[in-house]
Amino acid sequence: MSPASDHDVCVIGGGVTGAGIARDLSLRGLSVLLLEKGDWGAGTTGGSSWMIHGGPRYLEFDWDTTRLSTQDAGFIVSIARNLVYRVVFLAPVLPDARHNIERVETFMEVYDRFQPLKKAHPHKRLTAEEARQAEPGLSPDVIGAVTNEEWGIDPHRLVYANVEDAVAHGARALNHTRVVDLIRDGGKVIGVRYRASDGAVTEARARVVVNATGPWSPQVSKLAGVEVQLRPAKGIHIVYPHRISNFSILTESIDGRDLIMVSHGGFTLLGTTDDDFYGDLDSVDVLEDEVDYLLQAFERVFPSIRSYRPVRVTTGVRPTLYKWRRYEDELSRRYEVIDHATEGVEGFVSIAGGKLSMYRLMAEQTSDAVCRKLGNQAKCATATTPLPGNESDMEPPSELARRCGIPALAVIKLQSRHGSRAEKVLDGARAGRLVCRCEPMTEAELAYAARHEQVRTLADAFRRVGLAAGPCAGAACVMRAAEVIGAELGWSASQRFAAVREFVRGAWLGRAPVLGHAGWAQEELAQGAMRGLLN
Amino acid sequence: MGRADSLAKLAWAYGIHLTRRRLTRPRSQLQELFETYGAEGIRALLPAERERHPHLIGCINCGLCALAAGRMGKTRLPDLASSYIRLYSRLGEASTDFEGDGPDLEAAASACPMGVPLAEVAAIVRRIAAG
Repeated sequence: MSPASDHDVCVIGGGVTGAGIARDLSLRGLSVLLLEKGDWGAGTTGGSSWMIHGGPRYLEFDWDTTRLSTQDAGFIVSIARNLVYRVVFLAPVLPDARHNIERVETFMEVYDRFQPLKKAHPHKRLTAEEARQAEPGLSPDVIGAVTNEEWGIDPHRLVYANVEDAVAHGARALNHTRVVDLIRDGGKVIGVRYRASDGAVTEARARVVVNATGPWSPQVSKLAGVEVQLRPAKGIHIVYPHRISNFSILTESIDGRDLIMVSHGGFTLLGTTDDDFYGDLDSVDVLEDEVDYLLQAFERVFPSIRSYRPVRVTTGVRPTLYKWRRYEDELSRRYEVIDHATEGVEGFVSIAGGKLSMYRLMAEQTSDAVCRKLGNQAKCATATTPLPGNESDMEPPSELARRCGIPALAVIKLQSRHGSRAEKVLDGARAGRLVCRCEPMTEAELAYAARHEQVRTLADAFRRVGLAAGPCAGAACVMRAAEVIGAELGWSASQRFAAVREFVRGAWLGRAPVLGHAGWAQEELAQGAMRGLLN
Repeated sequence: MGRADSLAKLAWAYGIHLTRRRLTRPRSQLQELFETYGAEGIRALLPAERERHPHLIGCINCGLCALAAGRMGKTRLPDLASSYIRLYSRLGEASTDFEGDGPDLEAAASACPMGVPLAEVAAIVRRIAAG
């Protein structure tokens, strides 16, 4: 076993909340160790709808959640300008809808009161004819529509931006590192024992250990001999590799739940389900029934939806706070900071529940609890301190494109990930070569991600820089990507092949539930292009 | 704040909304919607293009069209169909990518195994990029 290191705080869990806590505590001057068993944001955060939103639907249950999440969304919009973009929803109303158009507009009128908190515009109401002018793909049965505005965000980059800033302020952050045990001294937790990707087990001492592992919180808390009770809920999204509607669309499912089709920059997410989940958190399957449940709802308002070719599905398990209630959808998205000292376990704090939109606030309140224990008086600075890449304004894409010799569209994508630091990423001879052409992404950016952003697998590169996120799902780029990353990390030829094989097999698990006729043709092509590798 | 409280406040807001609807004449908000979000590129596809949209985006980046024809301006044809059309809301900022000659798009389209109408795709991309 490797010798122990000493820290003020060890944060377990590299989702957006854990990364946010690590950043917050580092900005307050504490020494922090952040550990993630997989890759940054690979769990619940990555399986989200890619939005920071207040959620008009919470108005039925809990206005405080709406207020807090819109307020915090406003802070995130200010500190992460390069990562956010406006997402405008149309809520088309059908004659047999659960809520008639007057009720829907009432919801949006109330929601408008919160919108200034996140710098969003008030709603608009459209007649049936106007709604079809705005969104020609809508069903002729639609009798009117109401709009509302949210913010889209790349959650993977948001997590990494928090990790990067934490490291810049002195934190140590390790991905692919699993906590195997907590070190205890009587009733006190005094550190963690973790296994790195090379199998080496190391001890780290910490004055406080924070459990920010989302749906895995009950498992981690058991290591300390305490209980965190959740009601985990599975949600899936269907991913289309294109923007398939002008506006994002809000509709209802057969059982009256709100569903969303979100038009992000170059892709569309359609979701989500919300079902109690009792299975293995590390192996969440998607059923064709779940896919059909979503498509059935959307084809009523957007009839051509089945003409589009999905590229994969995503899954996530929400760490919803425990409550005995009939419907999962009615559960609050509130969160709770738990100091386990009240149960006789000192030095151990858990954060449970919540949602992406409130990650910064959750991190602030968890950090406050940690600082109280440590006697640290420093105030939270995360609401106003820009995340990396937001220190200055971005230059116009066409100018950077001309100077660096890459397409302007590639610069737009690059800036959306790295903000004002984009040119720094393009340093070197690889600047002009595109490796993932659908996205589009340069070899220089991929090499940078391997060298500086803890990319250790091709799946990590998917999360960090969008590798293989486009229509070809990697068929045209993963071989070359393995060469670029392999050159940075010193992979042998067989390790490069193994990396491609692992990525293609992993991607297949996400593609199988949504492959239609064209999808199978694409899969055949991809398999053919990589013939020999998968045997 | 419990659910009963939330529902009561919504009911109050609903009453106010209905009263307001009775007392005021509705006005069209469509133009205002387009003006608010024009800069975001949210209303980019026209109705006729929207109808054809599922056929326009079938590209799987196999690269066969590139063997039949080369580039549109500085842009490779497979990129046009697999990348530019999917990121259409940002094309106004990428118009420099299409400066230059156009290739034989019909020949390129005939090589496409997915039947992507490349001439149509190119026309839409150019239209959106030109603003």
